[in-house]
Amino acid sequence: MMLAAFAHPVFDSQRNFRELLQAMARPAVPRLVPTPAAAPAPILPATMAVLLTLCDADTALWLQQPNEEVASHLRFHAGVRLVQEPADADFALITEPSSMPPLARFAHGELRYPDRSASLIVQVEGFDGNAGRRFAGPGINDVEQLAIAGLPAEFWQQRAAMSAQLPLGVDLIFISGERMVALPRTTRVLED
Amino acid sequence: MTSNYNFAFLDENTKRMLRRALLKAVAIPGYQVPFGSREMPLPYGWGTGGIQLTAALLGPDDVLKVIDQGADDTTNAVNIRRFFARVAGVATTERTIEASVIQTRHRIPETPLREDQILVFQVPEPEPLRTLEPREAETRTLHALADYGLMHVKLYEDIAQYGHIATSYDYPVLVDGRFLTSPSPIPKFDNPKLDHSPALMLFGAGREKRLYAIPPYTRVESLAFEDHPFEIQRWEHQCELCGADESYLDEVVVDDLGSRMFVCSDTDYCGQRRAEQAA
Repeated sequence: MMLAAFAHPVFDSQRNFRELLQAMARPAVPRLVPTPAAAPAPILPATMAVLLTLCDADTALWLQQPNEEVASHLRFHAGVRLVQEPADADFALITEPSSMPPLARFAHGELRYPDRSASLIVQVEGFDGNAGRRFAGPGINDVEQLAIAGLPAEFWQQRAAMSAQLPLGVDLIFISGERMVALPRTTRVLED
Repeated sequence: MTSNYNFAFLDENTKRMLRRALLKAVAIPGYQVPFGSREMPLPYGWGTGGIQLTAALLGPDDVLKVIDQGADDTTNAVNIRRFFARVAGVATTERTIEASVIQTRHRIPETPLREDQILVFQVPEPEPLRTLEPREAETRTLHALADYGLMHVKLYEDIAQYGHIATSYDYPVLVDGRFLTSPSPIPKFDNPKLDHSPALMLFGAGREKRLYAIPPYTRVESLAFEDHPFEIQRWEHQCELCGADESYLDEVVVDDLGSRMFVCSDTDYCGQRRAEQAA
C-alpha cells in the first residue's frame, strides 16, 4: 500500500520551506524539519519532507539508490521527473554518501546562469556542533563549527576544488534524523 | 479571510517555483534569479514582485508589516496589508518589533531588525547596470565576468561633474565581494543597514521577473573611491514631531503658503518615540 504524503500540503510545505530558507541563510547550523512525511526506505521522513516541499513536475530528480517503491511514491505525490544521469538533475538524493558520485558530476550552472545548478540532499549519520570543521561566509556571523558524520574522505577536497569556480557550484542540504543543515556554495571551510 | 483562493493567493506550483528560486538566491548572494512572475490583482509597479515573495513565505502564524517609503499608512502599504489579511488571514501590524515578515517599498526601518525577521523589498529595476547598458545579454555577461567598470565610470563622472557622487538612492552595492546589486530605490542613508544585517533580506521585481537575496551577516559594500568615500545624507534639521536627529527625514509641505516641516519617514519609529516622550 502506498504511504501518505503531507497531512496538510499547503501549511506543511510552507513550514518546511521557512526552515529550509533559514537553514540556507544560516549555513552549518542544524535545524529541525518541522513536518516530516512518511517515506519508503532508504528515504528518511525529514528528507521526504524536503523533497515534497521543493519538487514537482518542473524539476528533475536523481536518486542514488532508486527502487520501485521510492520511484512510484515520488511520482505519485510530487509528479517529479526522475533522471538517470547526475548531470541532468535539479535535485539529487544521496542516501549512501560513502559511495556518492564526485561533486563534479552534478550541474554547476553556467557563468551567465549560476542558478542552473544542482541542489544535493545528502542523508548523513549525524551532526556535532562542538567538533569538526569551521565555516565562514555569507549567513555566518563570525564562525560556525560543525562535524558531519558519514561523508567520504574525498568529499571536502572535491568541495574545495569546486569553490574555486564560484559563483558556480552545487548547494548541499544534509539530513540526519529529523534535522537538516545547509551548506550553500559560498560557505568557506576555514583552514586550521 | 476569503476562502475562494488558495492560502496567500498563489497556487502551490507557483509557490514551489518561487521557493526554489529563493533558495538559489540565498545560495548565490546578489545574483538575480529569473522566475516566472505571475499576473497579480494589481499592476506592475505596485509591488507585485514583493507580493509574490511574501506570498511564498507567509504562513498562518506570521505577523506582516508593510511600509511604503517608511510609512504604514500610505495607499500602497495599506492595500498590500489588506490584501494579505484577506487572502491569507494573517495578523498584520504597524510595529516593526512585532512583525515576522516586513514588506517594504524604498526604505529599511530605523528600528534594528532581528534574526527571526525577514525583510522583503519591492524592486522596480533589479539590474544596477541597466541605465548604463540596455541589453540583458550584455549585462549578464558583465555579471559573469564581474566587470563593473561601467558603474565606476558613472560614479566618477558624477564626481567630475558635481564634485561629489550625486547618486542618492538605489546606490549600487557589491554583495559578498562578487555581485554588483541594486539595493532597490532605498535612500543611500539605508545602505549601511544592508551590511551584516541580522535579518534575511529578499528582493522581488515582478515586471522584470527577477528575485535576489542578501543573506544575514553578509558583507555589503557601497561602491566608492578612496578619495571619495561613501557618505550618507545628513540634515540640518531634526524631526519636528519626535526630535530625532539620526533618522531619515521627509520634507513635507503643510499649507498653501509653502510652509514646510521635516518629519521622520519611518512612521512607526516616530510614533514610538513620541509615545515614549509622552509617557
